[in-house]
Amino acid sequence: MNVRTIFLNVPPFLRGSIGQLAMSLGVVFATGPSTVAAPPEFDWDIAPLLIRHCLECHNDTAKTGGLSLMSAEGMQQGGDSGPVLVADSADESPLLQRVRTGEMPPPKEDESQALPAHEYERLRQWVAAGAKWPDGRVLDPYEQTTESRAGRDWWSLQPIKRPQVPVDSEHDSTMNPIDGFIRRPLTERGWQSAPPADRRTLLRRVTYDLIGLPPILDEYVAFEQDDSSDAYERVVDRLLASPQFGERWGRYWLDLVRYADTCGYERDQEKTRAWKYRDWVIAAINDDMPYDQFVLAQLAGDELPDRDESTVIATGFLRLGTWNDEPNDPQEYKYERLEDMVHATSTAFLGLTVKCARCHDHKFDPIPQTDYYRMASAFWAGQIEPRDRKYLGGPSPEELGFDVFGWTDRGRVVPPLHLLKNGDPKHPLEIVEPGQLTAVTFLDDSISPPPAEASTTQRRLQLARWIVDESNPLTARVLVNRLWQHHFGEGLVRTPNNFGFNGDAPTHPELLDWLAAELIHPMSQGLRDKGQEPSAISHQPWSFKRLHKLIVMSDTYRQSADHPLHDEYAGIDPGNRLWWRSNRRRLDADALRDSLLAASGQLDLTTGGPGFKPTIDPEALEGLSKKGGAWQASPPEQQLRRSIYTYLQRSLLPPMLTVFDQQDTTLPCGQRDVTTVAPQALALMNNDFVHVRSEVLAGRLIDQTDSVDSQVNEAWRAILSRAPTAQERRASLDHLHLMQQRFQQQRETPPENQTPDVSPQLLSEGLTLHLSARDGVTTDSDGRVEGWSDLSPSGHHASQPNIESRPLLVDGRIRFEGQQWLALDGQLLNSPEHTLFAVVTDKGTTGHRGIISNWNGAASNSTSSVFLGLTGESTLRFTDAFGNAGSVTNRDRPFLLSAVSGPYQATVHQNGELIGSQSQITGRNLSTPWVIGQQGNINGEYWQGDIIAIVAYDRALSDTERQQVEQWLMREHDIEVEVATPTDPALLALASLCHVLMNTNEFLYVD
Amino acid sequence: MSQQPRFPCGHTRREFVWEMGAGFTGTALTALLAGDGFFNQLQAGELPLPDGRGSEGLMPKKSHHPSPIKSVIFLMMNGAPSQVDTFDYKPELENYAGKDLPPDKEFINSGGRKKGFLTPAWRPFRPGGESGLLISDYFPNVRKHADKLAVINSCHTDSHAHGSALVAMNTGKTFIGRPSLGSWAVYGLGTENHDLPGYVVILDKRGGPISGQPNWSSGFMSAAYAGTLFRPTGTPILDLAGPEHLDRKAQREQLDLLAKLNEEHLSSRKGGQQLVDRINSYELAYRMQAAAPEAVDLSQETQQTQDAYGIGQQPTDEYGRNCLIARRLVERGVRFVQLYSGGGHLEETWDAHESIEKNHGRHGAEVDQPIAALLDDLDQRGLLDSTLVIWGGEFGRMPFSEGKDAPGRNHNPYGFSMWLAGGGVKGGIKYGETDEFGFEAVVNPVHLSDLHATILHLMGLDHELLTYFHQGRKESLTDVRGHVVEGVLA
Repeated sequence: MNVRTIFLNVPPFLRGSIGQLAMSLGVVFATGPSTVAAPPEFDWDIAPLLIRHCLECHNDTAKTGGLSLMSAEGMQQGGDSGPVLVADSADESPLLQRVRTGEMPPPKEDESQALPAHEYERLRQWVAAGAKWPDGRVLDPYEQTTESRAGRDWWSLQPIKRPQVPVDSEHDSTMNPIDGFIRRPLTERGWQSAPPADRRTLLRRVTYDLIGLPPILDEYVAFEQDDSSDAYERVVDRLLASPQFGERWGRYWLDLVRYADTCGYERDQEKTRAWKYRDWVIAAINDDMPYDQFVLAQLAGDELPDRDESTVIATGFLRLGTWNDEPNDPQEYKYERLEDMVHATSTAFLGLTVKCARCHDHKFDPIPQTDYYRMASAFWAGQIEPRDRKYLGGPSPEELGFDVFGWTDRGRVVPPLHLLKNGDPKHPLEIVEPGQLTAVTFLDDSISPPPAEASTTQRRLQLARWIVDESNPLTARVLVNRLWQHHFGEGLVRTPNNFGFNGDAPTHPELLDWLAAELIHPMSQGLRDKGQEPSAISHQPWSFKRLHKLIVMSDTYRQSADHPLHDEYAGIDPGNRLWWRSNRRRLDADALRDSLLAASGQLDLTTGGPGFKPTIDPEALEGLSKKGGAWQASPPEQQLRRSIYTYLQRSLLPPMLTVFDQQDTTLPCGQRDVTTVAPQALALMNNDFVHVRSEVLAGRLIDQTDSVDSQVNEAWRAILSRAPTAQERRASLDHLHLMQQRFQQQRETPPENQTPDVSPQLLSEGLTLHLSARDGVTTDSDGRVEGWSDLSPSGHHASQPNIESRPLLVDGRIRFEGQQWLALDGQLLNSPEHTLFAVVTDKGTTGHRGIISNWNGAASNSTSSVFLGLTGESTLRFTDAFGNAGSVTNRDRPFLLSAVSGPYQATVHQNGELIGSQSQITGRNLSTPWVIGQQGNINGEYWQGDIIAIVAYDRALSDTERQQVEQWLMREHDIEVEVATPTDPALLALASLCHVLMNTNEFLYVD
Repeated sequence: MSQQPRFPCGHTRREFVWEMGAGFTGTALTALLAGDGFFNQLQAGELPLPDGRGSEGLMPKKSHHPSPIKSVIFLMMNGAPSQVDTFDYKPELENYAGKDLPPDKEFINSGGRKKGFLTPAWRPFRPGGESGLLISDYFPNVRKHADKLAVINSCHTDSHAHGSALVAMNTGKTFIGRPSLGSWAVYGLGTENHDLPGYVVILDKRGGPISGQPNWSSGFMSAAYAGTLFRPTGTPILDLAGPEHLDRKAQREQLDLLAKLNEEHLSSRKGGQQLVDRINSYELAYRMQAAAPEAVDLSQETQQTQDAYGIGQQPTDEYGRNCLIARRLVERGVRFVQLYSGGGHLEETWDAHESIEKNHGRHGAEVDQPIAALLDDLDQRGLLDSTLVIWGGEFGRMPFSEGKDAPGRNHNPYGFSMWLAGGGVKGGIKYGETDEFGFEAVVNPVHLSDLHATILHLMGLDHELLTYFHQGRKESLTDVRGHVVEGVLA
C-alpha cells in the first residue's frame, strides 16, 4: 500500500506540532482525543509518537542498534540486543523498559528526552493490548513535524488559503488589506502604528525603494506642493513606470541568482554575453512580466513552445554559477555543478535547501535523498559532460540556436542519473527517475518522458511548470516575502531563502498567505483612492508591479521610522516584528555609489549592454595571480553608469562595493548583510571616487554662483536635497572659511616634504640613461644626427650609421619624420622595476609609433619587450601588458612622459599628472638591443615628431623622486604645466564641505 | 570541554536571541543586551545577531577550551614545495633513481604532463637541533630551529590543480565561496585590537595566488571577517589616506563637522543605535589611519633585527620585511596573518615544473633566513608560546621527474609535508609517513581537514562546535571531516 495515501488518512490534527496546528487550523484541537480513555488507536495515538520520538534513529535506513520501528516487521524483528516486545508481559518488554527509564529516546546534550507520562501511558496501553499494528502500515518519518524536524505537514507546504481581511471599526472599508493584517496584532496589544512619515521622508523612501536613487529637487518641490488626494499614488505610478525601477529590482534578483560576469578560479574566464541575462532581467521587471513566465523562461526558456532569443537568454540563470575549467576530477565535477543548479533553483524559487539532501535525507525538512536526485535529473540532461574549455561548461551558440549564453539539454534521451551514496560520485547506487519534490503532497510529482517531437527531455519545463502551478504552496509565498523584505528591510519570514524547519516562522502568516493569494488571483482593489483607475498597473495574475503598488500604498509602508513610544515598544519588540514603525535603512553598496554620482550631477542613466570596469586601486589588484593587463579599467566617462552595470569579476570584486556588503557572487543571496565597520568609513573618507564626486560638484557650484552663501545652500540641496538650517549653515560656512585658509596656507608654504628639483645627475642611483638634445648631439654635414651621447656614466650612447635613417636636429630637438631611428649601446635595463622619462612631441595620428623600445621578434620577445610609445590618436602604450596606459593631450607641444614599472603597480604621468595606472608589469625580456624612434628591430612603427630628452633608471623611482626629476625636466625643457587638478583653495574648501555632507548619516540612511 | 549554552528547542543562544526578535535593528538589541553583560559571555563563534550581521561579532570571545595561542602566522608556500626535497627524507629514492614508480601506485598526472622517473632529493638532508630532524639544504637556517617544529609528513589534499587546491588549503573545500581559515579564526575568537584588521594577508610582490580573492574571502559569513590585504610599505590598507591636501589636521576638521552634523541628525531620531555605531566607526577609522602605518614602520626596529631577517639584502628583503611585519602585527593583537611566498604562476611560485634546484634554490633562499629569524624573534620575545606558525603549500610534488633527466616535478596531492611551531605544538618531531618513495601518505595520513581541525584546536576552538548558521545548515570549516592530530600536540 502506498505510504502517502495512508498518511492522508491520518486525522489532520495529529499531523503537526502545536505550532503547526495553529497555522493550518486555527482552533480545533480543544476537541482532541487526549482526554478520551478509549484504548489507544494506532494512527491516532501511536504512529505520531513513534515518528516524533523514535524514527529519527530507528528507521529502515539508519537502523540504529539494528532496530527499525517503521513497520510491524521491523518491530517484530527487534534489534541487535534481541526482541523489543515480550509476549504476555508488557512491562517487561525492552521497548517499554528503555522508554520508562529514560534511556530512550537518549538524552541530547545532557538533556533528558524522556516521554511525558501520558504518552508513556498510551504506549504502555498499546503494548499491553498486543501492540496492534495495522496490516501493511509503514510509517513515514516525513509524515509529520517533530521537535527536531519538519514533516510534510510543515506550514509552508500547506495550500495557500486566502484569509479574511481583518476589518476594524475605526477604518473604513477602503482600507488597504495589508493594514488590516498589520493592525490587528497591534490593536490586540493596545499599540498604535507610528504616525505617517512626512512628505519629504516618504518621497525619499519610496524613490530609493522603487528605483534605488534619490528624488531630484524638483520632485520634492512638486510633491510637497501637490495637495491633490492622489499625489502620492501618481508618484508611485511614475516610479513603477521608470526604467530605473527594473534596475533596482533587477539587482535584487541578480543577487539571488549569483550573477557575475566571470567563471571564477584560475583563468576566471568571462562568461561571454552573460550581461544579456542581466538586461533580460531588467527588461522583464520593467515590462512587468508575470512571475510564472519569468520562472518558466529562466528554467526552460529553450523548451518553451514559443521560444525565442530572449527566452533562451533567460536560461543563462542555470549557467551563472562558478565554473572551474580545471577541476580535480572532471567526471566528479559534474555533480558539483548539479548541486549548484539544484541549489540556485530550489533557493530562488522555492525557499528550500534541497542541496542538503545530496548526501543523505534532509536532516530538517521532508526532502528524502532521492528527491535531490529527482530534481537534479532536470539539469543532468544538460551540457554537463566535460568538454573543451572554450564552451565554458555549457552548450555552444549553435546548440542554443542563438548567439547567447544559455542552457539546453544534450538531447531528448540522456544517460540515467544514479543516487550517490553519501553524495560521493565514486559510489553510485540505484538509478533515480526524474520527478518533483515529494514534500508537496497535493501536486503531481511525476515527470513524463518528452513527446516524440521534442529535442530535449523537457524535464526542466515540467519542473518549471510544477513550480509555477498555482497550487504550489511555496512559489508565491517565497516571492511575496522577497518583495516585502526589500520594501521593509525584513521579510514576513525573516529567512527569505529558507522556508523550512530551520527558517524563521512568519510574523504575520495570514498576511503572507493573503499576499500570495493576491499575487496568483488578483481580487483586491486594495488601493487607497477608489475613483482612480490605477494606471499602467496590470490586473494579470503573477504581476510584480501590482503587488509593489499594493505594498507601498499601505499605511504600514507610509508610517514614520520614529514612534512616540519608541522606547516602550522597542523594549518588548526590538526587531519591529509587529511593524509598529518603519525601519531605518542604510543605503546598500549599489544605491550608495549611484547616489554619490547623482549628487555630483554625473550619473549616466544609459541602460543595458556590456558592463563597465571600475577603476580599482592598484593595492587591490595585487590579489590577482595574473598581473599585467589583467584588469583594465574602462574610460572614466563609462564609469559614471549605475552600479548594476559594473563588470563583476569573481577573482576581483570592486572593494568600494564589497566593503559596503555587496553580495558574494558564489551562492544565492536573498538578503545582503548590513555591517558597520571602520573600513567603510575609510572608503568614504579617502577613496578617490568620493573625492572626485565632491570636487566635481564643488566646481559646478562655483561656476553657478559667486556667492559663498548660495554655494553652501546649493551643496546641501544637491547632496541632502534640502537647505541647511541656520545652525547647519553656520557650521558649514565656518568649515568653508577654515578650510579655505588652511588650503591657502598650504599653497603659499609648500609642504615640508617638498624638495626642490633634482637633476638626473644628482639622483644618480640606478640612472642608466640620460639623453638631452641640448647636449652631446653630433650631426653630419646635413645636420642629421649621427650620435647622441649619454650624459649618465653608463655610456649607453645612441647612434645611427646609416645616413638615410638619421633624424634631423632642429632647434634643439631631434626630429623624427619618416623612417628614422637611433640604436643604443649596451644593456639599458636589468630590473623588472624601472623608470622611463621622455620629453617629446607627437604628430602621428594613427598606428603604433615607438619612442624607445627593445622589441625583437627574432629573440621572441614580441609580447614581452619594454617600450614606450603611442598608438591611434593619443593612446599611450607602456609595454604590451599595459597597452592602454592613458590618453595624451596637447601632443604638438613638448610634453613629458614618465613611466614607472613598480613593485606593485605601473603608472604613467604626462607632465606630472597621472594618466594611467594598472597592476605590476611582469615577465619582461630586457636582454635585447634598445632603439630610439621605432619599435625595436621591426623596421616600422616609427616615431612621428620630436624627441628632446630620454632618461632611464634601472629601478622604480619613488613618487617623490619621480616628481623631483619631472620638475627638473619640465623646467629644463620649458614645459608649461596646465594645472589640471583643482588647487584653488576656495574650490577645495567647498569640495571638503561636499565631502563631509556625502559622509553624513543623513546621506547614508533612509528613514 | 565547554559547550555553547543550550536554549529551548536545542538552539544556541544566538538563534534564540534572533528568534526573540533581534531582526533588522539588531544594533538596538546590542544596546539592550550590552547592559546585562551579554557580550561578556559570548562564546567562541557566537554572534548576537543572525548570520553575522553587525560588527559586534568581532569583539573578543572565549575559546572553547583553554589555549595559549592568541595569533596565527601562516607561511603559505604558494605553488607547492616538493616534500622529498625539503622536509620528507626518502633515502630509498637513491636506489630507485631512474626507475618507474610501481604501476600499482595510481595517480592523476596533473596537466597531462609527462610522467618521468624516480628522482632523489636535489639537495642533501642533514640533522638539525637536538632532535636531529632531517631537513634539506634548501632550509639550512630553519633547520637550526628543528626542535621547535612538528613536521607532518603525511598530509594529503583533494585536488591536484593549484586553483582549487589553494582554495581548499585556505577554506577547506576545493570550490570557491567558503570562509577562509582566518575568517573562522576571527569569527571564533574576535579580534583584540580594533585599530588594526583582525585578519591580514600579505601577498608576494609577484602576484596573488591563483583564484585570487576567494582565498581570503569570508564566503557566506559577513564581510567583517574577510582577510584584509596588507601592503608591507607606506599606507598598508586600501583607502587609508586621502588626497595630499587633506592632511591629518584637515581631516580632523572634516570629522569634527561630520560629528556635529551627525549629532544633530541623531537628536531628532529615535532608537538610532546603528547611527551611533556609524559615528563611532569614523573615529575608529581615524585611529586606524595612524595605527596601520605604524605597524609597518620598520624604522622602529633595530638594525640588528632588520639584519637578522635579511632586510636590505637580496633575495631575502621582501619576505624578511613581511615576516618582521607579521611579528609586529602579532604583537599588536592581530589574530591571523598569512604571508605568501610566491605569486603569479609557475616559476614565480614554488611550482617547480622546470627545475627543483633552480626553483627551490631561488624561493628557498628568499624565505629560509626570514622564517628562521621569525621563529627566533618570536621565541626571544616570548611570543612563540602564544603564536602558532604554520608552514606549507597547497599540495606536494611527485617523487619522479617530468621526463628522462628532466629536473622538475609535477603536482602531488597524495602526500606532502607541512610543519607547525609555537604554543601547544610538540617540537622536534615528525608525524606520519609517506611510502618509501615519498609518493603518498601511508602512516597516519593527515587530510587537510585534519590539519584545519588541529589548527583550530590549537587556537582553543573545537572544529565541530565552531559553526556558522547559513541557509538552514550549521556550516563549519571541516564540514563532515576532520580529526585533531593529537600526535603533534605538546
